[in-house]
Amino acid sequence: MSAPARQLELGRIGEIVRRPDGIPKTTGEFAYASDLQAAGMLWGHTVRSPYAHARVLSVDIGEALRMPGVHAVLTHDDVPGEKLYGLEFPDQPVLAVDRVRYFGEAVALVAAEHPEQARRAAEKIVVEYEPLEQVRIHLAGVGDAFGGREDLSMQIHGALLALHASRPVKMVYNREESFIGHVHRHPARIWAEHRATREGKLVAVRMRILLDGGAYASSSTAVTSNAASFACGPYDVPNALIESTCVYTNNPPCGAMRGFGAVQTCFAAEAQMDKLAAELGIDPVELRLRNALAPGHVLPTGQRIEGSLPVADVIRRAAELEPPPAEELPRDPLRLPGGAGNTTRGEGIRRGVGFAVGFKNLCYSEGFDDYCAARVKLLEDGSAEVHCAAAEVGQGVAGVILQVARTELGIDDVRLAPHTTATVDSAGSASASRMTMMASGAVRDACRAALEERELRGGEVDIERIYRHPRTSPLDPQTGQITGERAHVAFAACAMRVVAEVDLELGLTRVVWIGAAQDVGKALNPQAVEGQIEGGTAQGLGLALMEEIQTRDGLITNASFTDYLIPTALDMPPVESVLIEDPEPDAAYGAKGVGEPPTVVSTAAILSALRDATGLELNRVPVRPDDVVGL
Amino acid sequence: MELRQPSSAEEAVGLLGNGHVALAGGTEIVPLLRDGLLRADALIDIRRAVPRGIHGTTIGAGTTLAELEVDPGIPVVLREACRLAASPQLRAMGSIGGNLLQATRCWYWRLDFPCYLHGGDRCHAKDGRHDEHAIFGNDVCASAHPSDVAAALLALGTMLRTTARELPLAELYRLPTTDDPQTTTLADDELILELEVPIPEASVYLKAMDRQRWSFPIVGVAAARTAGEVRLGLAGVAPVPWTLTSVDDLDRATPLPGTAYKLPIARALVARALRAVATG
Repeated sequence: MSAPARQLELGRIGEIVRRPDGIPKTTGEFAYASDLQAAGMLWGHTVRSPYAHARVLSVDIGEALRMPGVHAVLTHDDVPGEKLYGLEFPDQPVLAVDRVRYFGEAVALVAAEHPEQARRAAEKIVVEYEPLEQVRIHLAGVGDAFGGREDLSMQIHGALLALHASRPVKMVYNREESFIGHVHRHPARIWAEHRATREGKLVAVRMRILLDGGAYASSSTAVTSNAASFACGPYDVPNALIESTCVYTNNPPCGAMRGFGAVQTCFAAEAQMDKLAAELGIDPVELRLRNALAPGHVLPTGQRIEGSLPVADVIRRAAELEPPPAEELPRDPLRLPGGAGNTTRGEGIRRGVGFAVGFKNLCYSEGFDDYCAARVKLLEDGSAEVHCAAAEVGQGVAGVILQVARTELGIDDVRLAPHTTATVDSAGSASASRMTMMASGAVRDACRAALEERELRGGEVDIERIYRHPRTSPLDPQTGQITGERAHVAFAACAMRVVAEVDLELGLTRVVWIGAAQDVGKALNPQAVEGQIEGGTAQGLGLALMEEIQTRDGLITNASFTDYLIPTALDMPPVESVLIEDPEPDAAYGAKGVGEPPTVVSTAAILSALRDATGLELNRVPVRPDDVVGL
Repeated sequence: MELRQPSSAEEAVGLLGNGHVALAGGTEIVPLLRDGLLRADALIDIRRAVPRGIHGTTIGAGTTLAELEVDPGIPVVLREACRLAASPQLRAMGSIGGNLLQATRCWYWRLDFPCYLHGGDRCHAKDGRHDEHAIFGNDVCASAHPSDVAAALLALGTMLRTTARELPLAELYRLPTTDDPQTTTLADDELILELEVPIPEASVYLKAMDRQRWSFPIVGVAAARTAGEVRLGLAGVAPVPWTLTSVDDLDRATPLPGTAYKLPIARALVARALRAVATG
C-alpha cells in the first residue's frame, strides 16, 4: 500500500487519519440515533410541566391508557427503586413526584405505536413495577456531546417505558424539547479585582462568581469548583481569594458544557488582564508572559504543577502568528461585517486585534476518579479486534483507538467491535476532555498485555485491561485547598490572537481571523486535533456573538433554530492552529485532551478584539448589535 | 385531516373558508399547524390553482423564492430579498404568495401567550424582553413582520391581483387593533394569484442580521428608484411590512426600550440604501 493511502486510512499515532464518519455526515447519510428503527418499536413521549414552580396535586392517566395505540403511560409511581438521580447527588426526580421545579420538568411518560398517538395520549395511570434488569448500553450514531452527554436526559425515561411495555421504545427530542430536556452552560455574574506591581507582576486576584444552577444540581458543584479553580487564568498568582457560589433557581437546569466553569471565568480574567495592561502601559502579550504559569508553580488550590503546562510557549507561539493584512475595498459582502446581508461597502468599519489565553483541567477531578476498559483479541489469521465502549460522539475517538492498536500491534488489520458495554467494561463518559486520553491508555495497555500473552502461550489471545488516571482527591469545601496530592489530573492551555471588524453604525461584526496555539501534549491525529480546535472555537464564537437563552418566568422563549442562533460556516473565520507538543508524563504517548481549551479561550479572545475595535467596555456576552449602537 | 387538490382558482375559492386552509409550499402552514397555532379541518392544496412562473413583469403567486432568486429579469432588490430569505430548503418550497402572508414574528405569540393576536387583552412583548420587536406601528401589538420579500415588493410599488380584486401591496396589510387581530385584508376564501412588479432604474436590499446568513432581519431596507423617485420598504420594524414615505418618517418611530437600537441601524441602512440607488 502506498504511503499517502496508508496515511489516510491506516495511520499510526501522530499521522493524519481520515475519519470514516466525515463523508456520511456531510452528505446526510450518517445514521444518527434518531434514525434508529426496530421491529415492534414504540414511540416514547414526555409530558412536561407548563410551570416553572408548582405543586403536583394529582395525576390521572386512565383516559390516556384507553387511547388507540398506547402501550404504556407512566408516572413517578411507576419508577422502581430510587426515584431521584443526579450526577453528584440525587436531587432530581426521574418523574416529578409532588412538585415541579422548572419549566418543562418531566411529569409522565407515554409509549405508543405512532409518535402522534403518543403525543395525543395526555392523561396517566398507575402501573405496578418490577425490578430493573442489568442494563447494557449500546451506542448509536451520536452527533455531539459538549457536556450534554455526561448528564441524564431521556435515558431513564426510555428504559422505564421499554421495561413496562416489553417493546423497544424510541424517544426523540426536537429542537425545542432539547432546550428543556438537556442541561445548559451556567449563566454567571462575576466581579473581579486584580492587583499587580508596576512591573506587571500579579500580586493578588479577588473574584466573586455567582452561577445560576437551575432547578436541580446536576454537575453544578463541580462546575462551581472548576470556575474557582481556574478563575485566575494560567498565571502565577501568589494571593487569591475566590468565592464561587451556585444557587438553585426555577430556571432550566444547568450542568456540564464544554469548558465546565472555566469559560465564564476566562472571559472575566482576560478582560481584567487587558485592562491591567492598559493601566500599566505594558503590552498585553508581554504582561501575560511575565505572569505565565509553569511546572513547579503552585495553583491557588495549593496543587503544585508536576506535569506539562507550557503556558509561556503557548502565549509566544500564538502571538507570533501573523494576522492577514487588512483587505482592500471594495470587497465581496461575505468578507465584510453584515455578511450576506450586503449592509456595507466599507462604511463604518473599524478593525480590532485581541488576545487571550486560558487553561483548564483534563479528566475527571476532585476525587471523582474513574477508569476506561479496553479488550483486545489477537486472532489466528493475524488480525486483531478491539472492544472499547468509548463513545464516538464526533470527536474521532474511534479512529484514535484504531491508530493506537495498529501502532502497538504493528499490523494494519485491526477492527473496532461495536461500541457496547455488553462485551467490555465501561469506558466512562465522553466529557472532561478525557475520552482520548483514557481510551488510548486502555487500548495501549490491552494491546501490550495481549502481545505478552501471545508471547507466553501462543494461539488466540483475548485480554481486557482497565486504565486509571493518577488518583485525585476533593478540594476542601471551605478553603478550596487540596486535601491530598492533587485535585486535578493534568492541565492544558490555549492562546488565541483574533482579528475582528465591526461596523460601528450598525453594530454588526465579523471575526476575520483567529490564530491559535494549543498545548496538546502529543497530537495523535493532527487533523482531528485541528478539527477540535476549530469546533471549540466556533462554540466560543457563538457565546461571544449570538448564543443566549432567553427566559420569561422560567419559560425559554427562544427555544428554536430561528430564535436561538448558532454560528454558521460563514460566521467562522479561518483558524490557523499551532499544535504545541510538550508530552504529559502520565498520559499514554503524552497526549492531552484537546476539546475544551479552545472553547475556554475563544470567547475571551474575540471580546478582546471587539473592545479594541469599538473602544467599548463590553463586559457582557453575547455582544449583539444593540451593545454597540445602543449607547 | 382532509387534503383537497383543486385544479382551478375558482374551484379552490369554492373550497376555502370555514376551517379550510390554503396550502402551497407548506413552509409556513405546516409549522403553525404542528405548533397548534393554526387549526384546519381541511387543507386545500392550491398549487394547481395558482399561477407559477415569471412572465415579463408578472409573477405568479405560486412561484418559489428559489425560482425568483436566480432569475436575471427581475429587479435586483427582489432577487436579493429572495436570496436572503430563510434557507435554500425553505426557498425551494416556499412561494412568493405565501411569503407575503407569513406570520409576524414574536416569540410570545408563537408560544401562545394570550396576546392581542390570539384574542387576548395585552401585548406580552411590551412587558418582557422584546429585542426582536417593532419600532413602528406598535401601539397595540409590538411584533415585527420579518418578510424580506414584502419589503422589496413595497419598494417596487407592486400591485396584486387576487381572485376578488386588484390592489397595491400596501393595502394587503393592516395593523392589528384591540378588537381585530388580523394583519392582512385577505378574505378566508380569497387567493393571491399574480404580482405585477414594475422594473425600477436602480434598486437594492440591505439586511442587518444577527449572523452572516440565515436569520430574520434585525432591520431590512429595500430601496427602488423609479422615474427619479425613491421608494423605501422595511422589514423587521413593524407588525406588518412597512413603507417609509420619506426619510423623515424615521423621526416618527416609536421604539420600545428593547428595540431602540433598531432605529440607528434603520437610519444608517436607509442612508446607505439611498446612496446605492442614487448611483446604481
